[in-house]
Amino acid sequence: MRTYEGRAWVFGDHVSTDQILPGKFLDRPMAEVGHYAMAGLDEGFARRVRPGDFIVAGANFGCGSSREAAVIALQQAGVAAVIARSFGRIFFRNAINNGFPAAVIAQTARIAPGDPLRLNLEARVLTDLRSGETFPLQSLTGISQQILEAGGIVRFTRARLEARG
Amino acid sequence: MGMTLTEKIIARAAGRSSVRPDDEVWAAVDLAAMHDSSGPRRIAGTIEELGGRLWDPEKIVLAIDHFAPAANQRHAEIVALTRTWARSRALPHFYDSVGILHNVLLEKALARPGMLIVGADSHTVTAGAVGALAVGVGATELATVLVTGQMWLRVPRTVLIRFRDVRPGFLTARDMAMTVLRELRADFAIYKAVEYGGPAVDALDLDERAVLANQAIEMGAKNGIVPPTGVVLEQFGPEARDTGRPLAGDPGASYEVVHDFALADVPPLVATPPNVDDVVAAGELSGIDIDRAYIGSCVGGTARDLREAARILQGRAARVPLQVAPATSHVLAEALRDGTLQVLLDAGAIIQAPGCGACAGLHSGLLGPKERCITTVTRNVPGRMGHATAEIYLASPLTVAASAITGRITDPREFL
Repeated sequence: MRTYEGRAWVFGDHVSTDQILPGKFLDRPMAEVGHYAMAGLDEGFARRVRPGDFIVAGANFGCGSSREAAVIALQQAGVAAVIARSFGRIFFRNAINNGFPAAVIAQTARIAPGDPLRLNLEARVLTDLRSGETFPLQSLTGISQQILEAGGIVRFTRARLEARG
Repeated sequence: MGMTLTEKIIARAAGRSSVRPDDEVWAAVDLAAMHDSSGPRRIAGTIEELGGRLWDPEKIVLAIDHFAPAANQRHAEIVALTRTWARSRALPHFYDSVGILHNVLLEKALARPGMLIVGADSHTVTAGAVGALAVGVGATELATVLVTGQMWLRVPRTVLIRFRDVRPGFLTARDMAMTVLRELRADFAIYKAVEYGGPAVDALDLDERAVLANQAIEMGAKNGIVPPTGVVLEQFGPEARDTGRPLAGDPGASYEVVHDFALADVPPLVATPPNVDDVVAAGELSGIDIDRAYIGSCVGGTARDLREAARILQGRAARVPLQVAPATSHVLAEALRDGTLQVLLDAGAIIQAPGCGACAGLHSGLLGPKERCITTVTRNVPGRMGHATAEIYLASPLTVAASAITGRITDPREFL
């Protein structure tokens, strides 16, 4: 578990996986999807985002299609984590399954575009370095926490299979 | 304390006598489903990493539905890769370019009441139509299920949506789902189970129940479930009793909340872009011209949907291009048998190959800049069917057909 620092890219409510990675790019190999991250809302996002930056969104981020490529696209583009008020459940599960931090805070509206942010996953706190405000992250529970700590569901499953013998 | 049907299915799959909301369990999966977009191309590598053995090919369903018929070389290669993998694994339930996975699961009675079904597609929830607990996951997680036969679940709280009265003949199951979205909005059910009940639900056929189950994902739900009653109980009841799978919740089941809906005063509805929950009466949009009409997708391309469209189109002609993509080849055959197809063709409809096509923004009728379409597909988020500035109005097949005739959004009662 580590600490991340980067700028905030702010989006609204109900950002769909159709916007994170539009259907017209679904036929691309997984290794290329990062070029099209957020293309449904901002075609220049993948070019302008810097490694370590954050997406900050409102309610229901990642709703809609189950396409795992939406998570992979954000990871490949260099996004360190998504912070939202709530997540579409399949996107949230895909994020954990790929070891990608998806964190819930209640007050996403207090973060402005371009704000420098620090995410401390160990202390479970997000700090807005512009305002100095801190926001506690909603805790993961049980199995989802174990999967994230294992680095994703493939490693987690391999360990389960080995334990089973 | 009694359990809801969703809770009972999880308890059985987890080998426990009972579960409560927020419990986390490992559950044995009864059926795992995937298609050419989420399937072999995305999971073959993970399966090899996990030892390469499938847990039970009999319980795995694979359909080529997204990239067929292939529109370009990239699609063709995905289809070929999928087919090659299916053959190499000798999958007994492989459906090659004959229809949409979710509809095939219901049509072939692979989905049964009381099952735990997991699929690598958000519209896997459609199988809740038979009273199964059907949930969508991503491709990598599905790969782990294909190897282990298990998935983890947090027991969701159940919301009961009850339709108390009788549905007027001009309202469809899609209007019922839009009524819920209009009142409760698109995220009321995040992480929750949505169960449907009441007299108007008990009277629905399987295609209509599939609409309600399908639209639960647009409410944010983990699953949508229609407990087996009426025609579905008649079809599946005896077998379900033999297998011991649950068919109903307990009498004292505890719901997080119960929402009652009355249908008597509900007009035909339309979800306006860009949100599934911006729902208004079709009659209020009669000034809006449309460029095209499209009937198709897992939620709007069933035999029932085609028959509903034909009710309106009988003896009339579409003024704008009307594309009809049957959900499966079986739907097309049924439309031929019962005369529906002739009515649609006489009205000027264009019949397309079965599959996801334009609904998933892949091929066979994408929308261009600012093009305006009224359609029965699943979602209207910008870019869903093509260009991000295209406008997608969602409606029942009755309303889509009526609008195709006039070239503007039209209340189907004008033609009933």
